[in-house]
Amino acid sequence: MTLAFAGGSHRTVPMDLRERLAFSADQAAEALARFRDRFPGSEGVLLSTCNRVEFYAAGENDAVPPAPGQIVDFLAECRGIDASVLKPVLAGENDAAAVHHLFAVASGLDSMVLGEPQIVAQVKQAWALAQEHRTAGPLTGEMFQAALRTAKRVATETAIGRERLSIPSIAVADFARGVFERFDDKRVLLIGAGKMAHETLRYLRDAGARDVTIVNRSTPRAEALAARLGARTGLFSDLVDELAKADLVVSTTGATAPVVTLEMFTGAERRRGGRPLLVLDLAVPRDFDPRIGSRAGVWLYSIDDLGAACEANRKTRQREMPGALEIVDEETRRFMGDLHHRSSAPLIEQLRAGWTETGEGELDRLFRRLPDLDEAARAEIRQSFQRYAAKLLHSPLTSLRNESHSGPPHGLLDALRRLFDLKD
Amino acid sequence: MAEFVSRISVVCFAASYLVALACEASRLLFRSGIRGAVMVGFAAAGVVAHTLFLAWRAANEPAVPLSSAYDWYLLAAWFLACGSLWLTIANPRTPIGLFMLPLVLGLIGAAQLSSPVPFPQSPATQVWGAIHGIFNLAASVAVAFGAIAGMMWLIQAGRLARKQAPAQGFRMPSLEKLARFVGRSATTAAWTAAAGFASGLVLNAVNRQQGLLETVPWNDPVILRMGTLVAWLVIAALLERGMSRRPDGPRSAAVMSIVSLGVLTISILWGLFGASRHGGPPATAGQPAAVGMTATEGAP
Repeated sequence: MTLAFAGGSHRTVPMDLRERLAFSADQAAEALARFRDRFPGSEGVLLSTCNRVEFYAAGENDAVPPAPGQIVDFLAECRGIDASVLKPVLAGENDAAAVHHLFAVASGLDSMVLGEPQIVAQVKQAWALAQEHRTAGPLTGEMFQAALRTAKRVATETAIGRERLSIPSIAVADFARGVFERFDDKRVLLIGAGKMAHETLRYLRDAGARDVTIVNRSTPRAEALAARLGARTGLFSDLVDELAKADLVVSTTGATAPVVTLEMFTGAERRRGGRPLLVLDLAVPRDFDPRIGSRAGVWLYSIDDLGAACEANRKTRQREMPGALEIVDEETRRFMGDLHHRSSAPLIEQLRAGWTETGEGELDRLFRRLPDLDEAARAEIRQSFQRYAAKLLHSPLTSLRNESHSGPPHGLLDALRRLFDLKD
Repeated sequence: MAEFVSRISVVCFAASYLVALACEASRLLFRSGIRGAVMVGFAAAGVVAHTLFLAWRAANEPAVPLSSAYDWYLLAAWFLACGSLWLTIANPRTPIGLFMLPLVLGLIGAAQLSSPVPFPQSPATQVWGAIHGIFNLAASVAVAFGAIAGMMWLIQAGRLARKQAPAQGFRMPSLEKLARFVGRSATTAAWTAAAGFASGLVLNAVNRQQGLLETVPWNDPVILRMGTLVAWLVIAALLERGMSRRPDGPRSAAVMSIVSLGVLTISILWGLFGASRHGGPPATAGQPAAVGMTATEGAP
């Protein structure tokens, strides 16, 4: 049996080529159908995301799967790209290296954002698509199940995917939630209509924020965004009033000078009744005068502050990498050991059947010579024979299993064949 | 079963709490998948042993159950231990035990230094004695919870001011939640401490009127320290209420809650090592009663 993979990711394939190489769902279905016709008996799974395109192939017994080079040719043919363009940037591996690669990919260790969890769902989808188009089989099935199990272990036993990395998610989860317990009774003020504000508001909505006011220099733009986000609009000239009423401000204007000066804020502060104010100033240059951050009850975060938290989280993820790789190594060894052990199954079955047949023959002869034995005594003797055979088989089977961990146990299997006259 | 329960000692549950505290502290050093279960397991075992110990004492004391200073401290520790366990289960990512278990162990330590002899009581003063003890217990527990919330508020505010993401395994509740808790604890502590003090005065008056037990003079250290504690808690609660509409109000309230715990701790230490006639037996002719006693009814 053989396992192989070929493919490329953001690490080696330039973006323009990645875009040409990527498969839509329909194209992936078509490619799998073509694979079934081209390599009958082989199993195949296509994993295509915005950052990678990889094809995993496997074959058991007589079915020899395509080699990595053939897979590259196949991918090139499917996407209408010259294979000579792909070959320098796509990688290929066989057996344990292929398994290790899939396990690392599924665990997010090869992702652009280290430890990102979306890849698990994408691996599941790739496997489901292969099942739907009947290119999946027992070998790729076990391999993908083991990959998902590995990803789960990495996620639970390390902190690699635990720290957030996007600025809006950190702003809400690590800072806004540190100040406020709930958001459904808070008033959110959006100053400007930048993309980051939109994204941050999505996290705030998930956290429960309902009361959102958008203030923008261009009222029509604010109204358009408010209609899209289910928010209301305020006048830019009423900014001080809005600041007095707000609990949380997200600011993303493109202004070149601070939109909220210390004097403006002091005017609003007197009317706030001592309520804390969280300001996420995501604009560059900053919309809020930095001195506002030193006022009591004000928690002001600029994009640089949040970026620094992102960087710290990224470093935390990097520190978890060795532990995650250990899990991937361990799971790869276990999977390959099981796979190698499985290759010895037909021979073991033959050996067991031979011994059972011999035992049954001996029992028949014994029972003919001792006709007075009752059923209970016969059953007892039969069980003793079976236990005896199982005990004799135990040592060779254990040796085979142990040997399987370091590769296919060809030497032991050959010895068994010769010693017990077993056929392939 | 009875024999098993009778063999439970203070060391059993104190050791369980200590292991739970060590597990909690290890959060700061390394990650572990089973630590949470081990920590809750030890804390729960401690609470069970603690409960059985108190139940055994209540059932086997000849006097009113749990009416010694020793029992009072152990009961206060039990309330905090139960609170710690419940909050740890409800908030597994917050190191509640790191703040609460040292207080639990401190109260158990205070119990070891105090007298296990029940306070002398008569049927006429039993009810007032119980009210006095319960209110003081509630006030002490409220002060402890408030101070812990105050410490957490300051840690969380420090982290937010430094603009750092929460440390692994050291996630604090929100400032909003903690400030609310500090405020409620301050109010509860002030009311219950005042009620405890007032009921103590009534108890003293009944004793004086009926000549049943030793009365405590107005200048007794216990009266002075309890009066100071009550005065501080009432002032702290009023200040907290008055400053609630100021931007720096939550910070001041958090600091005051910690000061309240400091005042309570001094009061307890004073009770443990100072001389008092509080909770003493009736005076006999020619002999001043209970001078130098350390056992204090409704401690602190």
